[in-house]
Amino acid sequence: MDVLELARLQFAVTGSLHFLFVVLTLGLAPLVAIMHTRWARSGRPLDERMTRFWGQIYVINYAMGIVTGLVMEFQFGLSWSGLSHYAGDVFGAPLAMETLVAFFLESTFLGLWIFGWGRLPKYAHLACIWLVAATAYASAFYIMVANSFLQNPAGAVVAGDRLELADFGALLTNKTLVFSFPHVLGAGLFTGAMVLVGASAYQLRRRTGEVEFFTRSMRMGVVTAAIGIFLTVGFGYAQFGGIQEGKFDGDVAAAVPLAIMMEGGNLLSLFVLLFMLPLVAVLHRWRRTQLVLIALTPLPFVLAILGWLARELGRQPWMIWERLTVADAMTPGLTSGMVTASLVGFVLVLGLLAVVDYVLIARVIRRGPRDLDLGATAEQRSPALTY
Amino acid sequence: MELIWFAFFAVLLAGYFALEGFDLGVGLLLPVLGRTAGDRDRMVAGIAPFVLAGEVWLVAVAGTLFGAYPMLEGEVLFGLYPLVVAMLLSWIVRDAGLWFRRRIGGARWRGFWDLMITLGSLGLSFGWGVALHAAATGFGSSLLHPLGLLLGLVVTLLFAFHGWIFLGWRLPGFAGAARSGRALLLSAALAALPAIGVLAGGMGYLLDHSAPPATLNVLSLMVLPFAPIMLGAQLWVWRTFRPGKDADRIPSFF
Repeated sequence: MDVLELARLQFAVTGSLHFLFVVLTLGLAPLVAIMHTRWARSGRPLDERMTRFWGQIYVINYAMGIVTGLVMEFQFGLSWSGLSHYAGDVFGAPLAMETLVAFFLESTFLGLWIFGWGRLPKYAHLACIWLVAATAYASAFYIMVANSFLQNPAGAVVAGDRLELADFGALLTNKTLVFSFPHVLGAGLFTGAMVLVGASAYQLRRRTGEVEFFTRSMRMGVVTAAIGIFLTVGFGYAQFGGIQEGKFDGDVAAAVPLAIMMEGGNLLSLFVLLFMLPLVAVLHRWRRTQLVLIALTPLPFVLAILGWLARELGRQPWMIWERLTVADAMTPGLTSGMVTASLVGFVLVLGLLAVVDYVLIARVIRRGPRDLDLGATAEQRSPALTY
Repeated sequence: MELIWFAFFAVLLAGYFALEGFDLGVGLLLPVLGRTAGDRDRMVAGIAPFVLAGEVWLVAVAGTLFGAYPMLEGEVLFGLYPLVVAMLLSWIVRDAGLWFRRRIGGARWRGFWDLMITLGSLGLSFGWGVALHAAATGFGSSLLHPLGLLLGLVVTLLFAFHGWIFLGWRLPGFAGAARSGRALLLSAALAALPAIGVLAGGMGYLLDHSAPPATLNVLSLMVLPFAPIMLGAQLWVWRTFRPGKDADRIPSFF
């Protein structure tokens, strides 16, 4: 492979890894916030345990979202400095908003939420998780603004050999943004909800005794999955109204993932809306169906990655549609050796960590809501107190 | 406007050294001061509530580099290619160590991730010294220049010292004398000194390479209103997790 293909592969692999974790973060954040709200209002132990159990899964998943995201942010400068040279005055603004404001606040509030357990006043603690959810959505918004600018460079004018920002409002109302952003949020909700459903089905099937806990979790998952898939499919089709002309024409590499994603999404939406939702009251007892529900859990992740592949491969050979090619955006002087070495390093380290992270999440699900680290009090776990 | 964004950038970078410096320093000190697993648990628990709020300063530095200095972003990062990759990998394993070390009970599991925290902290601390030297010399010199390596050692020692003072402030009596908030402020300033020095030297160059006014105006309009909230959130963290206040009731997630 030549250096351009290697650099593209690096971005595709690390980006896909990043989104695997981000899509679950986006879905679980509001769900955990809702659970925490119920707990704050009712004070019931069941609500507290739900917050802690699903919250622990949320934060273990979040850890990988951070470290894969770091690689994404710095890769722009390492491999694609042509992009910042040509369009940094435009593209830099949403990216700066994401890293400088949204992620900055998200991580700060998440730290307060995790370590402020039992220390912050009840409603201040609750506010933290809602702020985490809100800033996570803001992060997603600005990343989609930046990505949509690559798909359709609205709001910018060519000035000499560079792009200049002409209309920031046009950046935010980009026709490739307005439907793709809710599409991504819907996909996140759907993915998070299907994890709730799959994990609850696993626990209920094994008759672990946490019947009420996982019946409620499953019901919340099914209802959210229905809302999520409805939004995802609806805004998915709506995007065709604003798509670049000829984006998928004769482009097999992009059309195949697009077709699989759409077919899979359609089938899943039928299953969720016509089967899972109407039967929500009895699913917790149907042990054979629970096997199917468990098996479905990875599907939303696969579809989400296929969706990104379609969107990004369809953009080729353009980095910025009809303005800058990917080849021209590559850092001058980048060599195959450099990219190969960093590609091996990132893929090896992030790949191993991703496996470990999923094993840890699976372990939490298997053990169920007992001996949780998140929100444990000193009596529950004696060593390692903070002072 | 260029001046405002230079100040913003400088505060972020110096803030990173001051606020993440002690996290890295405690990571460096894990094998030195944390002889037993229990000691290491207490050290990690000491920094735990500050790590998330500390490392975001560097994420913000990179974002500002892209937004306010788009012409420099590629030059800086690409000029340091192998170093940036090594520092990113260090950052990743340090973070993974923190998040993973307590997720499974075994001593060997935790020992392995504690080692990752130390190695990651070492890679980042040392790398910063080398990176600052490279920046000060206009990315012309070799990354293995003796002066750069020396600065790497200096930054590593400064961070370790800052971490040691932090432990004295947060875990009084754990490692030497109890330290006041004023002592911590002083060691923070000391840790930030190398970054401030390079920023002062590079001020003219940065100002000359700022994004055009239209971009900076939009950035200002979008970012500056949030600056008080960002500052407030950081202050909230420091207020909430200051030593003392019914502290022994709170276990650590890390």
